[in-house]
Amino acid sequence: MTNTLNCENLSKKYGDVVAVADVGFTIAPGEAYGLLGPNGAGKTTTISMLVGLLKPDTGTVVVGGTDLATDPMAAKAKIGYVPQEIALYPDLTGRENLRFFGRLFGLPRKELRGRIDEVLDLVGLADRADAKLDTYSGGMKRRINIGAALLHRPELLILDEPTVGVDPQSRKAILDGVERLVADGMALLYTSHYMEEVERICHRVAIIDHGAIVAEGTRHELVELVGGADRIELTLDGDVETAIAKLRGVGGVTEAARTAAGSVRLIAEGGRYLLPAIIATVDGIATVTAVEVVEPDLEATFLHLTGSTLRD
Amino acid sequence: MRPHPVLALVAANLRRHSRDRVGLFFIVVMPFVSIIFVGMALGGGTAASRLPVGVVAQGSDPVAAAVLTELRAHPDLEITTVGDKEELRAGVREGSLAAGLVIPPGSTRFELVMTQSNGSGMAARSAVDVAVGKVAAVLEATRAATSAGATPAEAAALVRKAQDASADVEVVNSDTASGTPRGFAYTAPANLLLFTFINSMAVAAALAESRRIGMLQRAFTAPVRRGAVLFGEALSRFLVAAAQAVLIMVVSSLLFGVSWGEPLGVATVVGVFALVSTGAAILMGSLVRSSAQPSAIGPPLGIVLGMLGGCLWPSEAAGDVLNAIGRLFPHAWGMDALLTLSRPGTGLGDVLLDVAVLALMAAALLSLSLVLFSRRTRTL
Repeated sequence: MTNTLNCENLSKKYGDVVAVADVGFTIAPGEAYGLLGPNGAGKTTTISMLVGLLKPDTGTVVVGGTDLATDPMAAKAKIGYVPQEIALYPDLTGRENLRFFGRLFGLPRKELRGRIDEVLDLVGLADRADAKLDTYSGGMKRRINIGAALLHRPELLILDEPTVGVDPQSRKAILDGVERLVADGMALLYTSHYMEEVERICHRVAIIDHGAIVAEGTRHELVELVGGADRIELTLDGDVETAIAKLRGVGGVTEAARTAAGSVRLIAEGGRYLLPAIIATVDGIATVTAVEVVEPDLEATFLHLTGSTLRD
Repeated sequence: MRPHPVLALVAANLRRHSRDRVGLFFIVVMPFVSIIFVGMALGGGTAASRLPVGVVAQGSDPVAAAVLTELRAHPDLEITTVGDKEELRAGVREGSLAAGLVIPPGSTRFELVMTQSNGSGMAARSAVDVAVGKVAAVLEATRAATSAGATPAEAAALVRKAQDASADVEVVNSDTASGTPRGFAYTAPANLLLFTFINSMAVAAALAESRRIGMLQRAFTAPVRRGAVLFGEALSRFLVAAAQAVLIMVVSSLLFGVSWGEPLGVATVVGVFALVSTGAAILMGSLVRSSAQPSAIGPPLGIVLGMLGGCLWPSEAAGDVLNAIGRLFPHAWGMDALLTLSRPGTGLGDVLLDVAVLALMAAALLSLSLVLFSRRTRTL
C-alpha cells in the first residue's frame, strides 16, 4: 500500500542552531501517527516543513505520491492543516470562516455549500453555524478550527495540539470525530501534550528531542524500551534535591527527576517492590506525604528518553 | 493566478470591515461632518459668496481708477484697498484674502499676488483677469480711434458707443463661474484625502490581527501562491480606500454641489492616492505588533500629514516652510492636483507632475510594505 506521507532526511538549521536533524517517517492511509516532544524539540519546525510553510535545508516530503518541492500546489491540496492557535476570523460566523477556507482550496460554489453543511454536522456545530465566532466557547472554536481543514477532504490531516484549553465535552467530541476520520481512511499526524490522547488515538508514535527522532514505534514497542520499569511519583516535604540525589543511588532506580508540579518522578525496575527501600532512603531528609506507582506507559518512556515530561 | 484565493480574501476582508461599526462611522459619517463644519467655517458655499481681493493702488492715474472701478463692479469680488504690498502679501498668506493685486503708479503692468493655486485663488485670478481685460480693451479702442484720426472727444464717444453695444453681448450660462461653492469646493477634496488615508491606516488593524492570529500563515498552507495572498490583502485595502474616496465624491457632488472636474483626471489622482494609502496601510499592518496600534497611530499620523498637505486649512495659511515640508508627503500633491482639476478647463494633462509624484510614492510604499509583509508572515 502506498503511504500517504513519506518524509525523509528533513533538516533545518537557523544559523548554527539545528532545529531539525534528519527526521523521517511515513504514515499510511487510515493510520494515526503521533509526534511527541518537549517544547523546542522541533515539532513545529517539522510540521511547518510538511505543510510547505518552511523550506527544508535537506530532505523530501511526498504527500499522496506528490512531491511537495516539485508540485507544491498539488501536494498542499492533499493536506488539511490545523494549527495550534485558533486561526479563524473572529468577526465572521462559523459558516463564513468555512466558506473562506473552502474558496482558498478552490472548491466550486455549489460543492462548497454542501461540504460546509457536512463539516458543520461532523464537528457538531450546525446549530451555531451563523453565529459570529467571537460568541463561541473555546471548544467550539477548536472544532471549527478543525472543520476548516476538512472541507476539501484531505488525504492527510495534521493536528497540532487540537485540544488545548477545551472543556471535556468538546475534547470528547474532537477525539471521537478524529477517530471516525481515521477509521474512514484518512492519514493523521497528531501532536499533543496530553499523553492519554496520543495513547488512545495513535497507532504509532515518534518521540522527537533536540530536533531528532529518538524513538519510534507502536505504544507497546515504545513501552518495551523502558523494560518492566514502573513510574513512581513521590510527593516529598523537606530537602527534595538531596533526596533525589540519594534516590539515584537506590538499586533498580534508573531515573530520578523533579517534575514541574514539584513532585519527584522515579523510573525503577520492579518499582513497587522497591518502595520500602525508597522510603528508607529519604528518611531523615524528607517526609513522604504521597506515593503513586504507575505501570509502564508512554509517559514513562518519554521521561526515560527525553529526561522531561511533556508538560514541562 | 487562480482568482479564487484573491476573491476569497477580498470577500472576507470586506465583510469584516462592514461589521466594524466604529470603522463604518469613520468612513460613512465622519467625513461629511468634517466637510460641512469646516466648509461653513471657510466661507459657506453659496452662490452669494464673494471672493475677498486686496488691491494696492498707488497714485491716482486713470488706468488704476478704471481697473478699480471694474473690479468693484464684479459680482464675485469683494474689493479691499490695502496700504502696501507687504500687508497684501500677509493677507493672502493668512487666507483673509483670496488674492491681491498691485497697481503700480503710471504702469499698465500689474502684479497679482497668490501663494497657491487653490480654488479660491484661481477663481479670484479669473475675475481679476476679466476686469483688467475690460480696461485694456477700452484703452486699446481709444488708441485705435485716435490713430484713425479721431479727436479725443470723438474717440471717447466711439468707445462709449462700443461699450454700450458690448453690453448686449453677455455670457448667458455662468453657472461654473459664479456658482462654485467655495467652502465645500475646498473641504470636499481635503477631506477625501484626509479620510481616505486615515481610514486606510485604521483598517490596517484587521491586517495586523490576521497576522497575529496566524490566519495568513494558515492561508499559505492552502494550494495558493504567496503572491495571490499578498495581492488579495492589498486589493482589499485598496477597495476600502477607493470606496471611501468615491463615497465622498458622490455625496459632496449631490449634497454640496461640489464640482470635481474632468473625470479621467480626478479618477487618476484618486486612484494613485488610494494606492498610496494602501501601501501605507500594509506597511502599518506589517510593522505593528497588535491590532490596537493602527487605530492609535493611524489617525494622528493622517491628521499631521493632512495639516502639512493643506487638508485642514488652506496651504496659503501655513507659510512657505510648512508647505515645503508638506511636499515630502502625498497629501500636498493630492490636494494640489484635486484643486487644480476643480478649475474649469483643466484636465489630466495639468496634473501630470502631481500624478507622477503620487505614483512614485505609491510604488515605493507598496514595494516596501509587500516585501516587509511577506517577511513578517513567513516568520513562524
